[in-house]
Amino acid sequence: MFAAASGHSFASPEVYQSALPLWVILVPILLGTGLYFLKEEWTKVLKAISLAASFFALAGVMLLFPMVISGQVCFDLIDFMQMGLFFRIDLIGWIFALIIALVWTLATVFSFAYMDYEHNLRRYYSLLTITLGATLGVVLAGDFFTLFLFFEMMTLSSFILVIHEQDSEAMKAGMLYLYLGIGGGLCLLFAVMMLFSITGSVDIAPAFNLLGGQRTIIFICFLIGFGVKAGLVPLHIWLPQAHPVAPSPASALLSGILIKSGAYGILRVSLVLFSSPDGLSDAEASYIFNLGNSLMWIGIITMFLGAVMAILQSNMKRILAYSSVSQIGYIAAAIGAATLMNREGGMGFAGAVYHVINHAFFKAGLFMMVGTVFMFTRELELPRLGGMFKKMPLVGITFLIAAFGITGIPGFNGYASKTLIHDALLVAMEHYELFSIELAEKIFVLTSALTICYFIKIFRGVFLGPVPEKLDLEYRLPVSVQAVLVSFALVITGIGLFPNFVLEKIIIPAASILHYEGPAMEHLHHFHFFEWHPLEAMFIVIALALIIYIPGAWRGWFEWKPPWWLSIYAIIYKPVTEKLVAAACRMGVLVDSSVDNAYNRSGSYARELCSYVVDIDRGIDKFYASSGKAARKLADRSAEMDSGLDHLYEKSGEAARKLADRSAEMDSALDETYRKTGRAAQKLARQTTDLDKVLNKVYDQAGQKTREEMEKMLAEKKNKEDRRERRKWNIKNLSFDNLLLVLVLAVVLFIIFYFSRF
Amino acid sequence: MTDSTIIVLITLIIVLPIIMTPVIFFASRYSERLRNSLAVITSGLTFALTIALYPAAVQGNVVQQTLFEILPRLELSIRFDILSFCLAAISSFIWFLCTIYSLDYMAKEHACSRYYPVLILALGSCQGIYFAGDFFSLFVFFELMSLIAYILVIHEETEEAMRAGYKYLVMTIIGGLALFFGIIIVFELGGTVSLGVGSIIQETSFLALIAFICFLIGFGMKAGMFPLHVWLPDAHPVAPSPASALLSGVMLKTGAYGLLRVIFHVFSVDLMLSGGWDTILGVLAVITILLGSAVALTQTDIKRRLAYSSISQLGYILLGMSILNDNAITGAVFHIFSHAFMKSILFLAAGAIIWKTGIRKIADMRGIGRQMPVTMGCFSVAALAMIGIPPLNGFLSKWTLSLGALDAGMPFYVLVLLISSLLNALYYLPIIIPAFFDVPGGEDHGTGDQHEIKFNIKEATPGMLSPLVILAICTLVFGLTPNNIVFILSRLTSAFLLLGGAL
Repeated sequence: MFAAASGHSFASPEVYQSALPLWVILVPILLGTGLYFLKEEWTKVLKAISLAASFFALAGVMLLFPMVISGQVCFDLIDFMQMGLFFRIDLIGWIFALIIALVWTLATVFSFAYMDYEHNLRRYYSLLTITLGATLGVVLAGDFFTLFLFFEMMTLSSFILVIHEQDSEAMKAGMLYLYLGIGGGLCLLFAVMMLFSITGSVDIAPAFNLLGGQRTIIFICFLIGFGVKAGLVPLHIWLPQAHPVAPSPASALLSGILIKSGAYGILRVSLVLFSSPDGLSDAEASYIFNLGNSLMWIGIITMFLGAVMAILQSNMKRILAYSSVSQIGYIAAAIGAATLMNREGGMGFAGAVYHVINHAFFKAGLFMMVGTVFMFTRELELPRLGGMFKKMPLVGITFLIAAFGITGIPGFNGYASKTLIHDALLVAMEHYELFSIELAEKIFVLTSALTICYFIKIFRGVFLGPVPEKLDLEYRLPVSVQAVLVSFALVITGIGLFPNFVLEKIIIPAASILHYEGPAMEHLHHFHFFEWHPLEAMFIVIALALIIYIPGAWRGWFEWKPPWWLSIYAIIYKPVTEKLVAAACRMGVLVDSSVDNAYNRSGSYARELCSYVVDIDRGIDKFYASSGKAARKLADRSAEMDSGLDHLYEKSGEAARKLADRSAEMDSALDETYRKTGRAAQKLARQTTDLDKVLNKVYDQAGQKTREEMEKMLAEKKNKEDRRERRKWNIKNLSFDNLLLVLVLAVVLFIIFYFSRF
Repeated sequence: MTDSTIIVLITLIIVLPIIMTPVIFFASRYSERLRNSLAVITSGLTFALTIALYPAAVQGNVVQQTLFEILPRLELSIRFDILSFCLAAISSFIWFLCTIYSLDYMAKEHACSRYYPVLILALGSCQGIYFAGDFFSLFVFFELMSLIAYILVIHEETEEAMRAGYKYLVMTIIGGLALFFGIIIVFELGGTVSLGVGSIIQETSFLALIAFICFLIGFGMKAGMFPLHVWLPDAHPVAPSPASALLSGVMLKTGAYGLLRVIFHVFSVDLMLSGGWDTILGVLAVITILLGSAVALTQTDIKRRLAYSSISQLGYILLGMSILNDNAITGAVFHIFSHAFMKSILFLAAGAIIWKTGIRKIADMRGIGRQMPVTMGCFSVAALAMIGIPPLNGFLSKWTLSLGALDAGMPFYVLVLLISSLLNALYYLPIIIPAFFDVPGGEDHGTGDQHEIKFNIKEATPGMLSPLVILAICTLVFGLTPNNIVFILSRLTSAFLLLGGAL
């Protein structure tokens, strides 16, 4: 998509098209993936394939050299994801690729012996090989998108190397590594997207003029993204946790190689992306100066804090891990010095690249030497170790060489790069005459002295002194381990004795890619490492180291454990991550639950509203009910009235009844009268009967004649009764003639009465 | 492909599942096997018929056909264009796989004779939504689907499920009413609700804004947009896992689809921008993304966590819609696909774990990856895609969306996406990493013996694993290859919509 020779002015005229970079990356990744599906028991096959993969990578990188030294190798793979993959290898990338492949091969060989004591070899070799491919991809990438892809892949695959032990410490360190790695990856992604959005390209090419106002945010995002991996303070916190827990060869690669991918990114961003081929205006130059100055100071702080922390540790791998932080600070400071010098930053660039090479060798070597000790003793704590020089003289000697290398003793490789970095700071100081750069130079010297101190500490702790009883055994180093350690020692002394070889063969050509110029570049071409001027600085450092170390060791300063709250983790990360994430979560939950509540409440409000409606309904009901009651009352009243009437009627009825009673009484009285008369008549009759009886007697006595008489009398009496009966008034008894008589009489009377008036 | 062929195919796609519903129901009286195979065949056939439309979609065919009039100027009509095709294709694909997955998963469950017909009917109504030719038809199918989904939600019939279902139902009805109101306003303002007209409403007015808000409520409810998302984290976890996968992976997208239709067919890009309505959508989307991610972080139940993650992912799609430029719309459409793949995997894998071990709590899932390597492997692929690890498809959608946001000059939106990615990492990694690198039951570290523990592989059945593996491959392939079908479709859809989206 972003075609190879898109014609930016930095490209050398020679552009070779070759698929070799793709194969260099792809073969380890594919072989590594394949390894995962093999059987755990086939250790020989696992070892052979992983070694073959790293040899292949090394050979491939070597084959690139003839092309790279005279130009660039490009390869464009459009058919991958949306943006396509683009590889472009110039000498800078090639230097990184070479040390990656070389150190990786050595580490793989070292793993053979070391990992025999470990579990889960299949996963280890598989991921080791995949990580090699991914790391090579980072430095061979031709644009930031490709770089980002491999960077993410490297983060994920190396995570599994970090947590290889799978104990809680490793898991904790691994998670921290992963979270920071992903966070850094996202920052990187943001920067890449911004770059793409603004310039329309993600090419690793000068684009400072195009970036405009967004450049600061882009730079910061790149710096965070790469800085996490590089271990710049304050993003380094995963490093001293993660590097010691990994298996030693993996630690060696993490510390020696992987953090360089971060440094590589920073170098590409600040020296390539943030440069301008067409020269800079004053404002832009001062902007670049500020950028470089900040980066340099980040580097200075990183190197100093790393060294201070290293000296306070007692775990030997942890010392080395902090030492890596400190050394990456050197590299960052050198890149910063190169950036702030702009076109004249050749010295800083050379120092940075040289230190990358050197650090890869001595740090990877140191981790493996320490790993060898650990392999046999299973002990990492300095107080519980000692006297190993007698037990493993080879390890002791190589360790001493590597320590001489890292501390910058003349004759060993660190001396060359540290001298260059120191000179870069001096050049910048002379050029700008700023106090801040002078201070930086002083801290640089102090840090170098501290580096010597902590290596004296670790060397004394591990190799000198009495052998602890538990560890008083015979140790026989495997040949492969011996070979690896010796080759590290040879490289370190080789570069140390002939520093100009590397400088002239590869570093100055690399610097010429970036078109450095000015007196610094001139100086670099004829740099004499073993003159009094650079040596003097080194002797000052050594003297300072002794001044610090002797009273420090005597007084036990280096045993001081900084309180937990002073750690960067406690100061920055804990509050930021825990509090911020917790606050965000709490806020989220609060909002979420309050929305939920709002709905529920609106539901209950609706229910309440409904209940109001019910109330109204009930009111209406009540109204009806009360009106009904009124009606009922009315009805009651009318009923009452009704009953009153009823009463009245009843009363009147009663009266009538009484009247009727009266009349009945009267009637009965009449009846009584009649009855009485009847009774009287009966009495009379009885008396008469009595009389009759008496008479009967008399007549009986008197004879029959009298009886006849008597009978006559009886008949007479009957007649009498009949008469009385007839005497009762009755209309039936009124005879017509009587009526007629009365009528005639009445008429007569009427006539008389009528006529008498007139 | 002629228009009449397309119409026949579309009608078949909608009608076939609806007709098969009673058939499946009655088949269940005779044999379970018959019922199951009918369900699989129906969903497979629907998928096949949908895919058959692919050439027409790529050629840019647009078909609008009235079936019959219900009321004057209010008709039941169907429409085919590339947006319809995209959503119908992904829905029927996921549906097909979920039906296959259901066969084994539901074998342990009750009321399967209710489950399968309802599942197929929901498929039919879902396809109906995508192929509806006007908002009225769309509304009819939308309501149908919402109501049917209720039965899927309450399938377990536990108290919890019933409560969640009730909430879902109430909110759905509110959303449906808002939608209906919006449609009425559009009808009033434009005299038509057809999708074949282009932008129905030409100028901003208060009533138009009300219509927009109504649509936002109606479709946003379904899409789980803040603050209408509250039903989602309750309803999705209680459903059976294949149904959760469909609810989260597919049915949520009907809301997103509706909003796309509203933005490009009722209104227009210019109208949205001039009214500043894109800002409304954008702000809501940002809140949805951050809120969903933050709350997901606090969940301990795996399915609830996934449900909240769905909210946040739907926010991505809404965000893409709110930006309204080529890259952003492409990203939104592509994320509809991506999220369908990823979330279906996550729910199906979680379902397989629940089915096999009964574990729902994330804390109990240590070491599960060693017992169920394939299931958890697929889960990890999907989770990494969610985080946006290249080269998985989640990265591609995030990348495209971010480019869209940057094209529009909104780096803030990119920041939101990245923060959400980081939060995704924070809540997905603690699931997958202990699953592979920890022992079950595990605080008990450090003995060093844990490597010796032999894990018996207790995988789910092949019927459950094959959908997972297919989806995981999709997740990888559609992110890795630059010119994959899905991405091309998204690009074409975006171009089509931005050209006006009409005939």
